[in-house]
Amino acid sequence: MGTTITKEQNTAAAQAAADNLAERFADAGMTIEIIAHSAGKKFDFVRITCSPDQWRAVAKHLKHEMGVNHCAMVTGTHYPDGGADRGWEVAYHLHRWPIENVEAHTMTVHIGESLEGDDIPMEFEIFIPLAAGDSPSVPSVQDIWVGADWNEKETWDLVGIDFEGHENMHRVLNPHDSPIGFHPLQRQHKIRYHDFNEMYDDPQGFDRKPVDEGHVK
Amino acid sequence: MAEMWITMGPQHPMTHGLWTLRVKVDGETVTDTEAELGYIHRGVEKICESRDFTQITPYCDRLCYVSAMTWAHSYVMAAEDLLEAEVPERAEYIRLMAAEVQRLASHLMWLGAFGPDIGNLTLMTWCLRDREMFLDLLQELGGSRMHYNYPRVGGVKRDIPIGWANRLKAKVKLFENRIKEYEMLLDESTIWLVRLQGVGYATAEDQIDAGVTGPNIRAAGVNADARWTNPYSVYDQVDWEPAVEKPTSVKGADCYDRYRVRMEEMRQSCRMLLDAIEKIPGGANTHYQPGDEMLITKAPTRAPEGASGFSTYECTRGVSNFYLQGGGDGRGKNPYRVSIRSPMFITIPYVAKTMIGYKVADIPAIMGSFDPCIGETDR
Repeated sequence: MGTTITKEQNTAAAQAAADNLAERFADAGMTIEIIAHSAGKKFDFVRITCSPDQWRAVAKHLKHEMGVNHCAMVTGTHYPDGGADRGWEVAYHLHRWPIENVEAHTMTVHIGESLEGDDIPMEFEIFIPLAAGDSPSVPSVQDIWVGADWNEKETWDLVGIDFEGHENMHRVLNPHDSPIGFHPLQRQHKIRYHDFNEMYDDPQGFDRKPVDEGHVK
Repeated sequence: MAEMWITMGPQHPMTHGLWTLRVKVDGETVTDTEAELGYIHRGVEKICESRDFTQITPYCDRLCYVSAMTWAHSYVMAAEDLLEAEVPERAEYIRLMAAEVQRLASHLMWLGAFGPDIGNLTLMTWCLRDREMFLDLLQELGGSRMHYNYPRVGGVKRDIPIGWANRLKAKVKLFENRIKEYEMLLDESTIWLVRLQGVGYATAEDQIDAGVTGPNIRAAGVNADARWTNPYSVYDQVDWEPAVEKPTSVKGADCYDRYRVRMEEMRQSCRMLLDAIEKIPGGANTHYQPGDEMLITKAPTRAPEGASGFSTYECTRGVSNFYLQGGGDGRGKNPYRVSIRSPMFITIPYVAKTMIGYKVADIPAIMGSFDPCIGETDR
């Protein structure tokens, strides 16, 4: 039978993680919630909403005090109608997994059901809302998780979120000579056939061109 | 000797796809590297913003043609989280089997492509021969050889055909013996051992810090696997254990360990398939009509603004994540934002840096042992 993590372990770990964070950042004005997934095993995860100023302190605490060792993904989102306080948002998804180096010719075989405390895998979701404007910016955590490096490069490349203190920032998915300020996942850029009805109006594609042709940002 | 930059790729057998590895060499020794990606960036995340939740599945198939089923499965899990859809247990079993058959096919494609890198062309013909057995099984489910569009939000498209279970059992049992043949071919081949052993060391902690996951981390001696750390589907009900390999050095796993762990993982997939086909609710040789409540439940088609869905999935090359936000165009019919985490996008830059200090001739062995796939990398 395959090993697994039980719902009880997951609930206890989520509660412990939320308590730990609430104690450390008690008077910082952050939101720390335990949310359950609504499908599958309906496991809990911890969602933190913080400001860009608080983000590096939170990241260091997660990495060094709570053993969060994997930066899974960084997502930037553009909300042109989101109001003055939330024109942009960066979401970090992090995982904690019980992974440590082993001696040569040995291995660690965890039994999921018997893991305790900080060894129980846990998922963290950090939302960082950013003010509306032309220059959204978040402090980089490249030096805390090496894995954040290329994720942040991608987020800058596609969405245009600036990561303060990120070294060696460059285009990764778009061509290296893309115009400065061109970040295709911003909402003002539309794809050629945004509505599939357009495809029927122009089946041979003679009129096809980017609707944002010639416009940058 | 003077140092110089050599460009390997975008058209190079080592790259297993379209990307460029720029290598700085001092004689035969690699002293610095740079990875350049993005040659086949198709903007899947942007396209998905103008498609509804059902229409996105085929795009996710095409993220990686080698493991289409696992990527579509990963996506529908996130969509179910967003739309709050329940999946019938029979559908979970069918998805599990489809994903594990796909894992066998994907690992065979990897082994088949890795062989010629090392100088063993026999391996390619053998692996592609066996991969075809599993592609046939998947074709019976999805109707197409590579891009199946089979998982649905809330279930699966159609039931397994009558007789599929018997064909699966026969093929898996045959393949279990074929794995032994591969090992006889490879594990005693001097060329194979000399090219792989002692090359491309990577420790578990370095890898997880850099974001590398999946078989590559299990080769370094830790049985971390999202199938049990972040349980989904019915992996807790079938018989298996995560493949894990003892690294041969304190410096971590070498290329040979990464080859070994994937062979073990194929064995575990076979074990899982044989067990799942016995345990499937409703029986393996019954056929429910498409849309039956054993196969799919009706899921909402719109997601409100502010809702989000997230999935963590053990893809064939590592952990993939989907993050969806509700409340897009069409009053929530489309997602507002789709974000995809590809394991290889993070792994390739890491692997490029681990090559420093090795010889130029070791580059194909190191790169190939991490199983790169550029379709999912560039999205």
